[in-house]
Amino acid sequence: MEPFKNFIDVLTQPTLMLTLAMFTFPFFFPMNDWFDKWNRRLRLNLLWTKAGLIAVIIGLTLFFVVGVQDAEFRLIMLKPDNVPIVGLIFLVYFFMWVSMKQASDNDKLLSTGEKPNEYHDPDEKVLVWPDLVYVEFISLILCMCLLLVWSIGLDAPLEEPANPAATPNPSKAPWYFLGLQEMLVYFDPWLAGVVFPTIIIFGLMAIPYLDKNPEGSGYYQFKNRRLAISIYMFGWIILWVLLIIIGTFLRGPNWNFFGPFEYWDIHKLEPLTNINLSEIIYIKLFNTGLPSNILVREIFGFIVVFGYFLVFPPLLAKTVLKRIYLQLGNFGYGVFVFLLLCMLSLPIKMYLRWIFNLKYLIAIPEYFFNI
Amino acid sequence: MSDKKNIFERFGESQVWKSIFRSGVPRTRRQRMMSVLNSVFLHLHPVRLPRHAVKLKFTWCMGGLTFFLFLVLTISGILLMFYYRPTAEYAYTDMIDLGEQVPLGIMREIHRWGAHAMVITTWLHMFRVFMTGSYKPPREFNWSIGVLLLVLTLLLSFTGYLLPWDQLAMWAITVGGNMARATPFVGHEGPGAALLSIGDINFINMGADAKFALLGGRFVGEAALLRFYVLHCIGLPFVVMILMAVHFWRVRKDGGISGPT
Amino acid sequence: MPAEAEQPLQEKKSSQQATASVGEGTIKEKVQRRSFISWLAVAWVAFAAATGGFFTMILRIFFPNVLFEPPQSFKIGPPDEYEIGLVDIRWQAKFGTWIIRDSEGIYALSTVCTHLGCTPNWLENESKFKCPCHGSGFRRSGINFEGPAPRPLERYRIVMADDGQILIDKSKKFQYEKGQWSDPEAFLVV
Repeated sequence: MEPFKNFIDVLTQPTLMLTLAMFTFPFFFPMNDWFDKWNRRLRLNLLWTKAGLIAVIIGLTLFFVVGVQDAEFRLIMLKPDNVPIVGLIFLVYFFMWVSMKQASDNDKLLSTGEKPNEYHDPDEKVLVWPDLVYVEFISLILCMCLLLVWSIGLDAPLEEPANPAATPNPSKAPWYFLGLQEMLVYFDPWLAGVVFPTIIIFGLMAIPYLDKNPEGSGYYQFKNRRLAISIYMFGWIILWVLLIIIGTFLRGPNWNFFGPFEYWDIHKLEPLTNINLSEIIYIKLFNTGLPSNILVREIFGFIVVFGYFLVFPPLLAKTVLKRIYLQLGNFGYGVFVFLLLCMLSLPIKMYLRWIFNLKYLIAIPEYFFNI
Repeated sequence: MSDKKNIFERFGESQVWKSIFRSGVPRTRRQRMMSVLNSVFLHLHPVRLPRHAVKLKFTWCMGGLTFFLFLVLTISGILLMFYYRPTAEYAYTDMIDLGEQVPLGIMREIHRWGAHAMVITTWLHMFRVFMTGSYKPPREFNWSIGVLLLVLTLLLSFTGYLLPWDQLAMWAITVGGNMARATPFVGHEGPGAALLSIGDINFINMGADAKFALLGGRFVGEAALLRFYVLHCIGLPFVVMILMAVHFWRVRKDGGISGPT
Repeated sequence: MPAEAEQPLQEKKSSQQATASVGEGTIKEKVQRRSFISWLAVAWVAFAAATGGFFTMILRIFFPNVLFEPPQSFKIGPPDEYEIGLVDIRWQAKFGTWIIRDSEGIYALSTVCTHLGCTPNWLENESKFKCPCHGSGFRRSGINFEGPAPRPLERYRIVMADDGQILIDKSKKFQYEKGQWSDPEAFLVV
């Protein structure tokens, strides 16, 4: 069992895991023909078949059954507030399967010119009483039963009384905010805690106004909506669910990374000496020392940040996002690409931190303005 | 003839029963339609639906379960309010009493796990709506309302986090409050706050900024507990209920459940 | 009575006629209509201002006039209670302050992480303060060197009281990035 645990510990190093997840992601949710070709060639579409469902559920179950034998992992996994996360992993995959299975079935039907499975003769309607009312009744009873069993079986956690002087180590946010907490490691609070959440809410609300594709309204479908679905899945699965998993299972004392089977050593030494872009350029490259004028000092950071938001939009409009640019027009495309770039800035900043130990691109702590 | 009827039938024909349920026992097609139309609760639904709309594999019933969990949380929350006192002195001990001294001591569990479950069902409902493209015209606006409801669900959960007054509560809210501190322009450690000043007087300072408004003090203390309690029990649920009414109303007004044409 | 009641009705009629004939009406009538519109604008502005004022008052409710928070200054005993080269954490729980004495003197560091306000732990072996929330690290001096913290820990005002004890005053803070650590009250020379 030890080699397996070591293998998992290595594989779940967040740097490696996130890289793997991000780069295999487009093969699972192919957003263009090239990825689609490889999706079929690598037989990844088998994931959305019945066999795929059974295999993944058994695999996940085995992992947690084996995992719970391990003393370290058991501590994390059976912590009452973490139990929903384990359930969440199963639920997210299961419902992803339910939707993608129906989507791929419908894709086949639509490619032969037929109507999707959801289609029924408009004249042939069913009555809400009893057909719908019973379905709702039974699901809410099942839901209540589950909740009761859960509540009887697992006590709600209650930690030590509040003590303003001693912070528990590690100190974790509620699970749905763990993505935010992870983001706070890489961005300053005004960005990670205020601006980005606002952009996320705004961006989610803007989805219907930015997705002008009339296809797939009212039925599961992937092929004709693949860009929209893959962006949504990237934001949800990679940047929210995966960060929750990382925050729950892999963040330990002093907010260091630990493998799931690794002992939470409080004294684990992890040198995290971070430097700003201005220091890299003026001190390491030019060997001159930082200029005293703030704007001169941070000019390179401003160039990078403005360049990111000014160069990429026209570049993408001429290349990969050409169709969307024509569809949305200047304003709509501007909003869309701004949201997209904001979303991608998180993994970009993570990699900058991991590779260059970069702290801030623009660092003006005098005015609390750090990016 | 009347002596052949059993007690249920007689009761069903009584004036009292008929005044409440006007359409009688829903046996015939007409009665079934009328029973939905005449009930203030059931008439959230239309009378008839396309066949795919009642299938679990299409809707997952996630929206319905989210609403149901909201009701469960409201009821269990009201029950908890009978015992819980939002003060630094009592909050923590009341938590223990809720488990040990109050009969059916799982109410706090139901409330807490129900809150977890509601976040998950909201997520999945949103995912289902996205995957079926149900946010497309004419339902754009209702999706936006739904996003606000998701945010409010998270905020409700977050404000509830402080109430046990334990270490988890304390530090989750400390971190949350300090995020408010960093809000641009209205947080005293946010970018732009320094611009709002005349001479030496900062209008945005420790005693007057977004964090202070949230916590009712410069750090997490009793005032913060009371503010979060009020937000959790009255303020946010009030907003949620209004938005929920709009959300349900718009489902019907935007043409009912989505489906292929 | 009926005659009086008739009066306003008559006026109304005439004003209706005036508006009806405004197209070919006299200049005077046009001015009347224009002034009506400007009165309307004034009314709306007044309404908006009153509503705005009302909501500002509501917002003001969230900022009480008196705060009941623990005292901000306290005495921590004479300087010789503190060993040179040690980070003293005995006041961490009660007052949120670390007392650090080096070869030159004593300074009081705030225990509030400059990132999001958690309390870092002093790790003697690694000789650093390490924040459990997001992993920020600070040196003994309070300078941040790792993790997300944007700036060094704050120092509190530290002076000698008349009775030979050290007095810490948390209401006055000194920030390194503003060059305030060189202030004579940020550091107690012993």
